[in-house]
Amino acid sequence: MVYAPAFPIETERLRLRPFSRGDVDAVYAYRRLDDVARYLFDETMDREAVTEVVQARIGHTALVAEGDKIFLAVEQREGHSPIGEVTLILRSEANRQAEIGYIFHPDFQGRGYATEAARELLRMGFDGAGMHRIYARCAAENIASARVMERIGMVQEAHFREHVFVKGAWDEELIYAIVEDTWRAEQGHRPGAA
Amino acid sequence: MDRPDLPFETNRLVLRTFSADDLADISDYYVLPQVQRYLDIGARDAGDVKRALNALRNQKRLQRPGDALALAVVRRVDSVVIGHVVLRWTDATASQAELRFVFNPIYGRQGYAREAVEAALELGFDRLGFHRMFARCSAMDERAARLLRQVGMRLEGHFREHKLFQGEWDDELHFAFLDREWRCGNKVTELTRYSVANSAA
Repeated sequence: MVYAPAFPIETERLRLRPFSRGDVDAVYAYRRLDDVARYLFDETMDREAVTEVVQARIGHTALVAEGDKIFLAVEQREGHSPIGEVTLILRSEANRQAEIGYIFHPDFQGRGYATEAARELLRMGFDGAGMHRIYARCAAENIASARVMERIGMVQEAHFREHVFVKGAWDEELIYAIVEDTWRAEQGHRPGAA
Repeated sequence: MDRPDLPFETNRLVLRTFSADDLADISDYYVLPQVQRYLDIGARDAGDVKRALNALRNQKRLQRPGDALALAVVRRVDSVVIGHVVLRWTDATASQAELRFVFNPIYGRQGYAREAVEAALELGFDRLGFHRMFARCSAMDERAARLLRQVGMRLEGHFREHKLFQGEWDDELHFAFLDREWRCGNKVTELTRYSVANSAA
């Protein structure tokens, strides 16, 4: 398959676009925070590590083979610096399964930005890439993230207990998912939907 | 890790590694439609079964994550292989293992599957020291789901239409047990059995 959308993608308040080398400072601003790293498999990062992360994300803008990821920086439409990032991952081509992920700077949380960006990821995955099911994962304590998944219509499918050992502690993980038919049915009922 | 002491005996069963002599017994169930329905690798003829048996015979040690230990479930009274259980070591850091099983439906409804799965859990938790064991089955496979509930595993996941399986969208159930839960549960069961037996007497 080839899913190579045109960028930037604009939503009501946000712009999703590929990463560039100039994004290091903006990404470092949230990747260095304990509040952000707490719920990620990654530790907090120094600037050097962030430089590598940003470098590694550049150019990942299409889904062709299993495991491919689209990494996008998320900006406010009136702004020019990322306030977070989102990911769309092709997990299985044969089974049309994808995973989404998002990280936002805490200063910009609580305004529905993650929800707005995640909705756009679902549209990309279902309409653009022709997926059948899209799932997302979060740490069980990350209530804000779970709420985002619920708001975009995902349903909790799993709660794994102590299934991995991360950063010196047992991890609990939630998996949420939404199937194509459910998503399409919901599109008709949401005001503002195309 | 590596391998627990085998064979492992229960009241009515023996769990042991496979040998070439098991071909006739596993042929009796491996190709049955109701067994094939839930197997990842299809087997249609004698050649397929032989290849499957060879794979099972090679799964005899857990030396690194990814390795599997396949055990024939043998009925003690007549030495017939009535099914098999497989322990697959999936994660060393978190000490996780997957439990898989297949049973000949001819010998169903006598509690053999439960006895074998409980033995496999004991091997995994007590002898191999796993922290968490999980088992997956299709949501349509009611017998497997019932069995996993019966042994006390918790339903941790129900994945809807997560893959195409034999031409249909498949729902998968994911059950799990933590070592400490298994230990408590086991004692509770023994206690219940004991007190029931006593009060009946």
